[in-house]
Amino acid sequence: MGNEAIARGAIEADVRLVVGYPGTPSSEVIQTLLTMTERSGMRVEWAVNEKVAVDIGAGAAMAGSRALVTMKSAGLNVASDSIVSIAYGGVDGGLVIYVADDPAAHAGMEEQDSRFYTGISLLPMIDVFDPQDAKDAVVEAFDLSEEFKIPVFLRSTTQVAHMRADVMLGSIKRVQRRPELQHDIKRYTRASPAWCMEQHALVNSKVEKMKSRLESSRLNELSIPQNCRGVGIVASGVSWNYLREVMNSYRVRNVAVLRLGMVNPLPEGVLRRLITQVDRILVLEELEPFIELRVKAMIADIGKPIRLYGKCDNTLPRVGEYNYNVVEEAMSKLLRFEIAKESFDIEKEKEQGRRLAPGRSLPFCPGCPHSATYAAMRQAFRQLGYGQEDVIVTGDIGCTILGMNPPFNMCWTEVSMGASIGQAIGLRYAGIEKPIIAAIGDSTFFHAGIPPTINTSWYKTDIVIAVLDNQITAMTGHQPSPSSGYTGSGEKAPLIKIEKILEAAGIEKVTVVDPYDLQKTKEAFVEALKRKGPLAIILRRMCALVARRMGLREKPSTVEVKKCTGCQQCIRTLSCPSMSLLSDGKIIIDSGTCVGCGVCVQICPSGAIMGGDRG
Amino acid sequence: MINEYNILISSVGGQGGITLARVLSITALSQGLKVRVGETLGMAQRGGSVQSHVRFGENVYGPFIPYGKSDILLSLEPSEALRSTQYIGKKTKIIMNIVPILPMSVLLKEVIFPETDDIVERLSGIVSAIYAIDAVELAKNAGPVECMNMVILGAYMSLGEPILTISAVKESIARTVPSRFIKPNIKALDMGMHKMKELMKRRKQKSEI
Repeated sequence: MGNEAIARGAIEADVRLVVGYPGTPSSEVIQTLLTMTERSGMRVEWAVNEKVAVDIGAGAAMAGSRALVTMKSAGLNVASDSIVSIAYGGVDGGLVIYVADDPAAHAGMEEQDSRFYTGISLLPMIDVFDPQDAKDAVVEAFDLSEEFKIPVFLRSTTQVAHMRADVMLGSIKRVQRRPELQHDIKRYTRASPAWCMEQHALVNSKVEKMKSRLESSRLNELSIPQNCRGVGIVASGVSWNYLREVMNSYRVRNVAVLRLGMVNPLPEGVLRRLITQVDRILVLEELEPFIELRVKAMIADIGKPIRLYGKCDNTLPRVGEYNYNVVEEAMSKLLRFEIAKESFDIEKEKEQGRRLAPGRSLPFCPGCPHSATYAAMRQAFRQLGYGQEDVIVTGDIGCTILGMNPPFNMCWTEVSMGASIGQAIGLRYAGIEKPIIAAIGDSTFFHAGIPPTINTSWYKTDIVIAVLDNQITAMTGHQPSPSSGYTGSGEKAPLIKIEKILEAAGIEKVTVVDPYDLQKTKEAFVEALKRKGPLAIILRRMCALVARRMGLREKPSTVEVKKCTGCQQCIRTLSCPSMSLLSDGKIIIDSGTCVGCGVCVQICPSGAIMGGDRG
Repeated sequence: MINEYNILISSVGGQGGITLARVLSITALSQGLKVRVGETLGMAQRGGSVQSHVRFGENVYGPFIPYGKSDILLSLEPSEALRSTQYIGKKTKIIMNIVPILPMSVLLKEVIFPETDDIVERLSGIVSAIYAIDAVELAKNAGPVECMNMVILGAYMSLGEPILTISAVKESIARTVPSRFIKPNIKALDMGMHKMKELMKRRKQKSEI
């Protein structure tokens, strides 16, 4: 896997510290390294958020150590505050910031093109195209970072980060260093305008020097065949793989090809050589026309009439990810060939088939404490006479957002880490009179939920903060959070209590309940909604998948067929994946997946379900 | 030398599609082939659709199979085979488990789930061959129902595709699954192989009549 290759690259580069925050598709780098800390001697950690991770990494690199920081695209936005500043002072040890973008939004986030951060931070960036390239690029990025004393971005996308392929390993080098921080305020502080401008000029000159050094780098590979027919292609990232396949299947020769690995600084000399050789150019890059616009500017500068194929002329899309067929289509336009297609009838048949496959919306896992929380919330609304539209629930990042799906239909919004609370405040300020609940998970609360909580109590805003504390960062693959009581490598750690933070932040009424106890949970919400906020409820119960893995599973629940009336209230309330229907409409529970949470036992009006945690 | 060989595995999160992809790719690697695997997971852990693209050969670079270019579709669930039609074509052979996993919308009668016979008929008009197997039943005979993916793998191994050897596949299984599950997984593999031989024999007899 691409991310595992990056982990290997970190080992080969003798990185001493790896720190990050979980986020698909970046998490496997740290997850892989966490399994081998004893052998590698590396310090590997999950931080509370990406900005903290970057600050830790920068601190280590300022002291001369090699540090790798990992995050997904949205995490880079959080970390950017520090990155822009760290760029000015630079680092002495290597600092590489790995960011994984997600074209086609597989993980359900914006299709952010993080390459634009090179414009904001001025920092260099390598964009990788397959696992081998990714591993090699880690080592090169560290060498560049140290040579030029600035942080370097390493960027991948989902299809590179999660691509599995054979990788040739390199040797592991050892770098001996003594930790030391120069006492140099002209370099490491920004409080003087004159120093700031000096530092700004210095970053620019570092990147400019790097540009000439990279003209003949492995990262940018230009091949111009002898009988080049005036056609050139620039490909970057995963597109490079699709291009090679299309070129092979159509036996395309006689075209000049540039594989571009360095997206900042762009190798202008190499690009110039390409431009002067051809009169048609196709640029292949996913998401925004980042390289294309630069090529366009260079063409204008050179003053040669060149037809440019890319996103600006709608040859290629800016939305979604590329594949073989997208590139084939663009190539057919560039080289004017026909694509053999299946008959219209067969294509129609295929499309109809796809439409017949019923969608699979994401349910909560069997025994998920969040599903119990949202079920209890619904019961509380009903008891107070509120309908579906009478209470607003602002949602947040992570598993908790699945409460937006049927049958719960609870969460109305999802923006970014911690935004549920700030948005709830804004809705109240706008004059919304309905009750407002902000639903946020534990890891998300630690990450970015604390400042808006303080804002809530500072201005005494009438909202309910519900922290759904399943004691883990579940959605990204169960990385520990500060409320887990252990670290990523499994060492025991202090358990940070959310109720103490809430109280210290000025929330006067904080209730802690176990969501598996539906009655008490419902009562907690009824109480909170009757009073004037700010108030907070902590719904604490370990993620069912983690509990299961720890062997904490209860006996599965069973249905007494005689008592089951087939009313299906359980399935309509919880949509638990362990439940299915018999042909007579009665419920059956799959003993293989049921964890015995006992929530359905409390929901069944005819007492037909037995067993479970409290059954 | 193999130029390009594509196996698409479609499944529902938790069915073992990813493990199946892993066994196939490790086997190919051990036989010295160039390998690429791409996966569309999304939030697969939670019962979503999963597609694994397992690709071997010298002209294989990208993580995804080009549309219509699958040599093989191994579908662990019938409706997931329908969802994958973009990637199948004239040369594709399908092996499909017939036991469905019904989404909640179907249980609540909001959406109709297509009949297995209809799925088989529709797909057979697109591809060169389709074999529908009750792999869950066979897996239950072999051990835990989770071995269903190995029944499908076994069926594939009897299809007469001359790329992966059975001994290499068995070795990969031993390297991939936890040690106490090796035996039932191998048994499931054997049952799948046997089942496919039977199906092919029957098909041959039919065509001779």
